[in-house]
Amino acid sequence: MSKDTNPKEALIKAAYADVHKFGSNQEYDKAVKAVNRILGVAPEDQTALHCKVVCLMQLSKFDEAHKFIEKNRLNGVLTFEKAYCEYRLNKQQQALKTIDDGATEQPLEPKLKELRTQILYRLERYEDCLDAYKSIIKNSSDEFEDERRTNLSAVAANLALDKDREVPEVP
Amino acid sequence: LTPDMEPIPCKPLFFDLAMNYLELPSLEDKLESPGKKGASITG
Repeated sequence: MSKDTNPKEALIKAAYADVHKFGSNQEYDKAVKAVNRILGVAPEDQTALHCKVVCLMQLSKFDEAHKFIEKNRLNGVLTFEKAYCEYRLNKQQQALKTIDDGATEQPLEPKLKELRTQILYRLERYEDCLDAYKSIIKNSSDEFEDERRTNLSAVAANLALDKDREVPEVP
Repeated sequence: LTPDMEPIPCKPLFFDLAMNYLELPSLEDKLESPGKKGASITG
């Protein structure tokens, strides 16, 4: 009997096809059901666990996603996802700690750097935030340059509220 | 009794760009066509 006729493998393969389809259509409520079918027969499937976290987050279920990450001991692999949940749950200090303790690469990979900079903004650490944005803007070229420059202006506006300082130069 | 109106700075617009990085992992190795498994070096 060939491997492909194994009912468990066939189920997983079909469910992954659904995850892919619904994920591409941003139908995350349906995608999460397909992921649950995989986890029903393969509860340790790392890819499925990752998919579930992303689906829950796309559905704005940040508390549930965060608990799921901790329960399944995904802290080491899903650093960005864990920190982003904490950011949205208003646990800025914890989010910063998650990134700084969990990052294996220096400099940080772009998504962690972007998130860390937003966390600095929420923490009102505007000087650090300004430096981080300048560095991101210098090193990135994507479709969000305008939005990033808007964020940089927001940082500058907050720094300008301090009457003892000059309005920082925005590149 | 009502205090005088005072101007306050408006809250600057701030975009969440980190959310754009939130994506499903690659499912390429999970979606290979049936029958190919083990048959090729890429399978």
